[in-house]
Amino acid sequence: MHIFLLKLFTPFFSLLFQEPAQGRMALVWERAQHPDLSKFLIIGALLFIIGVAGVLTRRNIIVIFMSIELILNAANLNFLAMSRYLQETGSVNAVAGQIFAVFVIVVAAAEAAIGLGIVIALYRNKETIWVDEIDILKW
Amino acid sequence: MILSGWEAVFFWVFSIAAIFAALLTVMARNTIHSALFLISSLVSVAALFIILQAEFLAGVQILVYVGGVMVLFLFVIMLVNVGEEERGQEEIFNRSRQVTTSVIFCGLLVAGLIYALNVGYDGLQKRDAATIAKTSADRQTADQNLNASATGASKITKGTEWVGNGLYRFGSLPFEVASVLLLVAIIGSVMLARTLKQEAAVDDVAPDVLEKQAIDDPELLEMKATE
Amino acid sequence: MYRYIWLVPLLPLAGAAINGLLGRKLRFSERLVGGIAVGSIALAFLITLASVYSYAFGSNAIWPNVYVTSQDGASYSWIPGGAVRFTEGGHARSVASAQEEARKQFAAMTPEQVAQHEAVPVLRTINEQEGASLLDVEWSYQLDALSSIFMLVVTGVGLCIFVFATGYMHGEAGFYRFFAYMGLFMFSMLVLVMGSNFLMMFVGWEGVGLCSYLLIGYYFDRQEAANASRKAFITNRVGDFGFALAIFGVIATFGTTQYTDVFAQAANFPLEPLGQWGILSWIALGLFIGACGKSAQLPLHVWLPDAMAGPTPVSALIHAATMVTAGLYMLTRTNVIFQHSQTMMTVVAVVGAATALFAATIGITQNDIKKVLAYSTVSQLGFMFMACGVGAFAIGIFHVMTHAFFKALMFLGAGSVIHGMHHEQDMRRMGGLRKYMPYTYLTFLAGWLAICGIIPFSGFWSKDEILWSAASTRFVPVGWIVWIVGTIAATCTAFYMTRLMALTFWGKERFLDNHHEHSAGHEVHDKDHETPTHHAHIPHESPASMWVPLAVLAVLATIGGFVGISPAFTGGHHVGGRMNIVNFLDPIIWNPTTRYFGTHEIVDSFGKRPELVERHATASVLTTEPVHAEPPPPYGHEGFNLAHAIDSFIHNHTLTEWVFINISLLVAGFGMFLGWLFYVKNPRLPDIWAARLRPLYQASYHKYWVDEFFGWAVTRRTMDAARAVFAFDSKVVDGAVNGSAGITRFSSRVTGLTDRYLVDGLVNAIAAFIIRLMSPLLRAAQTGFTQNYALVMVLGLVLAVILFFGADITKAFRGVFAIGF
Repeated sequence: MHIFLLKLFTPFFSLLFQEPAQGRMALVWERAQHPDLSKFLIIGALLFIIGVAGVLTRRNIIVIFMSIELILNAANLNFLAMSRYLQETGSVNAVAGQIFAVFVIVVAAAEAAIGLGIVIALYRNKETIWVDEIDILKW
Repeated sequence: MILSGWEAVFFWVFSIAAIFAALLTVMARNTIHSALFLISSLVSVAALFIILQAEFLAGVQILVYVGGVMVLFLFVIMLVNVGEEERGQEEIFNRSRQVTTSVIFCGLLVAGLIYALNVGYDGLQKRDAATIAKTSADRQTADQNLNASATGASKITKGTEWVGNGLYRFGSLPFEVASVLLLVAIIGSVMLARTLKQEAAVDDVAPDVLEKQAIDDPELLEMKATE
Repeated sequence: MYRYIWLVPLLPLAGAAINGLLGRKLRFSERLVGGIAVGSIALAFLITLASVYSYAFGSNAIWPNVYVTSQDGASYSWIPGGAVRFTEGGHARSVASAQEEARKQFAAMTPEQVAQHEAVPVLRTINEQEGASLLDVEWSYQLDALSSIFMLVVTGVGLCIFVFATGYMHGEAGFYRFFAYMGLFMFSMLVLVMGSNFLMMFVGWEGVGLCSYLLIGYYFDRQEAANASRKAFITNRVGDFGFALAIFGVIATFGTTQYTDVFAQAANFPLEPLGQWGILSWIALGLFIGACGKSAQLPLHVWLPDAMAGPTPVSALIHAATMVTAGLYMLTRTNVIFQHSQTMMTVVAVVGAATALFAATIGITQNDIKKVLAYSTVSQLGFMFMACGVGAFAIGIFHVMTHAFFKALMFLGAGSVIHGMHHEQDMRRMGGLRKYMPYTYLTFLAGWLAICGIIPFSGFWSKDEILWSAASTRFVPVGWIVWIVGTIAATCTAFYMTRLMALTFWGKERFLDNHHEHSAGHEVHDKDHETPTHHAHIPHESPASMWVPLAVLAVLATIGGFVGISPAFTGGHHVGGRMNIVNFLDPIIWNPTTRYFGTHEIVDSFGKRPELVERHATASVLTTEPVHAEPPPPYGHEGFNLAHAIDSFIHNHTLTEWVFINISLLVAGFGMFLGWLFYVKNPRLPDIWAARLRPLYQASYHKYWVDEFFGWAVTRRTMDAARAVFAFDSKVVDGAVNGSAGITRFSSRVTGLTDRYLVDGLVNAIAAFIIRLMSPLLRAAQTGFTQNYALVMVLGLVLAVILFFGADITKAFRGVFAIGF
């Protein structure tokens, strides 16, 4: 088990502990000056994960919905970054990413409407917005 | 699409802003604050969209997402929020077990995603570097041939044109379906959010349900179903 | 014409079937039933006459050859070859050894011999022997001397009795039933005498036994009739057992049941003189046991007197003329086998003689007219067996014929008397009937004289020949004892028959005295039975339908004996050619000395065809003695021969025979004189002598207590055995069954308890334990908290990714590690 963990974290340890040719900070500065697709994707990933964390950890149902909007947004960012990249590689369907992002927004809007309608109805019934109090399905 | 110069600066500014705002969305105590932070995060992401030369999407994002969806959120927050959490009487986070587990796994996800993205991008680069280098000259020529904007500060890109072309030609069926979806969402939300009195006023409701709710609201009894 | 003999058994069967199946349904009148029955028998009799005439006396007569209906080609295979295969017994062994021989021969043949087709006969032998190991039984009728005589007797006497029965059974409720059974009986008897193989004889044997049972028990509502019919059938069956064993022996030894084949083979077997006991003696023993049962010889005679409970025509037909003579038929048919075994011949003669004397002494004291006649029948059957036992088979058959005539006559006469006396059977209440029933009296007179053996009536010829054969026999060493016993029995016969005549027809009319309690145990005429408290009945003569057959039989009883005139009267030969019964039967009697069938010189008196001449002159290997010399004793030695003793005294062969004739006439006359003395001249004498000889009288009157002995020894012991077996069955067998039921119940209870406590307990324990263990754990997953579910989804996603991309992940990690950052 410990060998597995070692193997899992080795690339990060190697990144931390090895000396690159130019020096670590120079490399980072170099890379930071020219962000490319990967940075966009990483930003999108971070937003996504923050959204997931919000869904899993908050008690307020409205905040959970807003975290879901974050997730969808991150996905949109991802689509558009890839779309831009594919424009450069000359792919025929490069603009499909943007079209898809449009639909994502449409769906997000519809989902928000319905979801909030449900929240209203639930609030009228249960008089609460704390999800741990809405446990009717508990055994 | 390697950015450079001021684009890179703006990229970092707006991305840090987006992430920061998102973090605060999740961690804010006040729900209104949460919503406002989300709005700022969305606007930052819209700015990132513009950096990605998807102006139309940026506009849509501001108009629809922020202007429509977040406003709706704010309305609903106003409707249901009772403010206990900002008064400190309610917990904002779940039980520690859930939170701990979530954080651990989110951490794992972060590590994995970042690594995977790096590796994936390296692979992409290897695959497409030649193609990109080949067409860069053409792209630059095409960029310079674009029309200038009204102010002359930039060029009018063709992105929106491409989106419109694609959307209304190849994506016309999803487009129509999306409109139906929105119709359904409208009807559904109207139906979901009706009160019993509103429902009884326009539609038939079972009498025993009316009677049960009439304890709180005596007017319901007057709204018996029509023969 | 003799090719139509197959019709002869069929006609009575058809008549019986019509009467039996339709007689009651269609309500035939008595005339119709009687007409059908008598008509069928009459037609059968005519066909028999024509057939026998064409067989023996016609222009194309084939006598002395045998005619079997299957000779004409169309044979009906009753038990086809292939149904039975021989594996044991003499025949199977001979077949196997013949096959072995042929196979060895074939194996020893050289190829040149095979090429010369010399192997063909050897192979044929192998194949034939293969076929010979399969039993083939056909249903075909045989017409030869013996069967023709019996056919004539059965159909002729049967016709007379049928006619008599139409009058006698008038008014009976089961008229159609009576004639149906009688027709069936005729069919069975004809199959018995006409069958061409042992199995057909056995079929007829059983059939007549069955019909005897049905007819004796005709008055089935009477206890004694039912008992008597059962007794008859069971006693018959005891004999049938021996007969069946004998048939098995025949099949195993000879491989076939056809008479022609069996006797041809048996003729080649070695003789078994006294002291040697071989396979043929065993077969003869079985056959003799069967004959004892059927013909009421000494230990198995008990059924015949009781059988008088049936109607009188039944007694006449079955128990006088036909069924009881089936044993004689069988004995004569298989005379080859019997003559091979001197021991069995002795047994037959001794048993016959003992029976004759035994029954005759009983008949002296009986009061029921039918019982007297019954014991007389047993006695006369004993005479016939005596004849066969001493080797005079043809004489035995001759006595069968004459006995059929006069005994049937006397039975029918007794029936007429009973009918006229309104069913009174006790002779002590009869008397002086000759005035009232003249026809009956005259015909009965003829029968009386015949049975007493008065010349020239038929009984004289046959009985005298029997006694002479017994005295002069060279077959068995005890001939002289047999002669003495037979003579005493003849004396008794004459005595009791005279007694019967005196009590019934002569003297004063005792029926006019006082009261009438009708003696128990006789037929009740339900139509004109008059109330007891009435004046005495005046006996009346019987109608024509009853006395005409009596007249016919009386004529036959008078002149029927001339077909067998003793050679003492005709110069030492049997004259008449084929008309003489001894000559007629000659071809079927086997001679143990010459080992040929038939010995006598037969002079043709019709001038038609050259006859056989004596054969032992040309073919004998034993002697070169001149013709007509005394042949050597068949078994090599002989005991004391009475005739020879007297002959050596007188030195005249013919005169010796005359001595014996005169002795038999004298004893007959002496018996008749005693009878007249005791019952006509001095009626007090019987009581005086009965008192003087009290023990003998009691023994005779109680039939020597044979029935009581059988009841104690056989019946009660059988019932004891039955009770023991029943006890065993109910206690042990049923106990075992009930015990097993109890075991089943017990085990089911155990199983139930096991199931309830052990199995269910286990299930409950384990399942309950698991549920109690797991349910809180599993319940804990249902928190109702949606975010928990979302978390689980995320975890699942992570897990899926790891599993899916695990190889890539580890490879990437290793690659990174190897490259190093």
